[in-house]
Amino acid sequence: MIKVTNLRKQFNDLVVLDGIDIEVAQGEVVAIIGPSGSGKSTLLRCLNLLESPDAGRIEIGQATLDAPKYSRKQAHHLRQQTAMVFQNYNLFKNRTALQNVTESLIITKKMKQSEADKIGRALLEQVGLAHKADSYPITLSGGQQQRVAIARALAVDPHAILLDEPTSALDPELVAEVLQVIKAIAEKRTTMLIVTHEMAFARQVADRIIFMADGKIVEQGTPDELFDRPQNPRTQRFLQQISAPASFIS
Amino acid sequence: MNFDGKYMLEVFPTLLKYLPLTLVMAVVAMIFAIAIGLLLALVTKNRVPVLYQLANVYISFFRATPTLVQLFLIYYGLPQLFPSFSAMNALTAAIIGLSIKNSAYLAEIFRAALDSVDNGQLEACLAVGMTKAQAYRRIILPQAARNAIPASGNTFIGLVKETSLAFTLGVAELFAQGKMMASASLKFFEIYLAVAIVYWALTIVYSLLQEWLEKRLSKPYKN
Repeated sequence: MIKVTNLRKQFNDLVVLDGIDIEVAQGEVVAIIGPSGSGKSTLLRCLNLLESPDAGRIEIGQATLDAPKYSRKQAHHLRQQTAMVFQNYNLFKNRTALQNVTESLIITKKMKQSEADKIGRALLEQVGLAHKADSYPITLSGGQQQRVAIARALAVDPHAILLDEPTSALDPELVAEVLQVIKAIAEKRTTMLIVTHEMAFARQVADRIIFMADGKIVEQGTPDELFDRPQNPRTQRFLQQISAPASFIS
Repeated sequence: MNFDGKYMLEVFPTLLKYLPLTLVMAVVAMIFAIAIGLLLALVTKNRVPVLYQLANVYISFFRATPTLVQLFLIYYGLPQLFPSFSAMNALTAAIIGLSIKNSAYLAEIFRAALDSVDNGQLEACLAVGMTKAQAYRRIILPQAARNAIPASGNTFIGLVKETSLAFTLGVAELFAQGKMMASASLKFFEIYLAVAIVYWALTIVYSLLQEWLEKRLSKPYKN
């Protein structure tokens, strides 16, 4: 379970998160959409403290933390509740695909190499990359790298996976393979928070859609509610804009 | 032309007896320089308060002053301030001096190498629950090491040659021995050419080692 209360973050004079409240139930898949600069990525990065929030409370799994004052130990404990999938994959460049998945098991969970390898291979199998176990990231395509990154996130068996625009850096033809893997994980009721621009995908995979703008949650609801019957004018405008290019061509 | 090739060949065995001392000075000084340099780089990279300013003064001073002046400061100067330093022998002073000077150069190389590792690597480590120390040890430093090796190799080659400065403190090393033999035989060109060739050969051997190491470390980054 994730519970965020009154989360605030400011970069100099720019308010990026203006009092965010979110609750995500165990097994729920939530997609966060919104224009760029709305604070959705910052929100995700505050949840694992890659950005340090200025105020607010974050509760994930067994960890609770009150910003801005927290100890290094608290931060570490909170981070261990989640795993993140990055836009740019960020695979460990000096590790093979398998080692990318097993690294955290061996280093943070003190697992034996053989045991970690078994889990690692099973996860690579799950993302369809068992045959690439010994390949280094540089030899993999973007889609393959992102699938390894997803396996790496699953390896730590987190309370929730945070996905920060997981397909934005991919070539169009590679997007589908990554979305497919995420969808399969979603179907296993893994708690996920996904920041995405893929509206069709969000609609398909998410239980709930959150629309953010200017550091605030403007509107949220089921995919049908939010996409088909948006209540807030700001949401309506955004959805119109993103569907505009298609109508512009015809 | 007055050149005694046979004599030159004959002096090699005597000169080579001093090679181990040169190597010991260079390798020990390099080990200390790497340790201090890495510490300085981590301090400057993470802008640790107070230590950061001190590190910058240290780096600035030891990069900007001649090695010979530093060696004299340590060997002849320090005992004047702290009498206990007079117990320090010339070899120790040379190693200390060369360690300090080269640590300042390596600090800059290491800082640049650390900067060259994308910050996403650290974020990925933290995101899977590793501590910053674990991230550095397992992921960041190995990647930075690969970037640091070519420039650090240059520093090491420079260091090997700088060991000849130890002769000014009275260390009987390779160059000092050459100088003594030259004054005795008056065959300056033969002796100094032989000395030069020993340094040259040493550098060639080292370069081969470095090439092998670079190849090994860049394996993960080759398509």
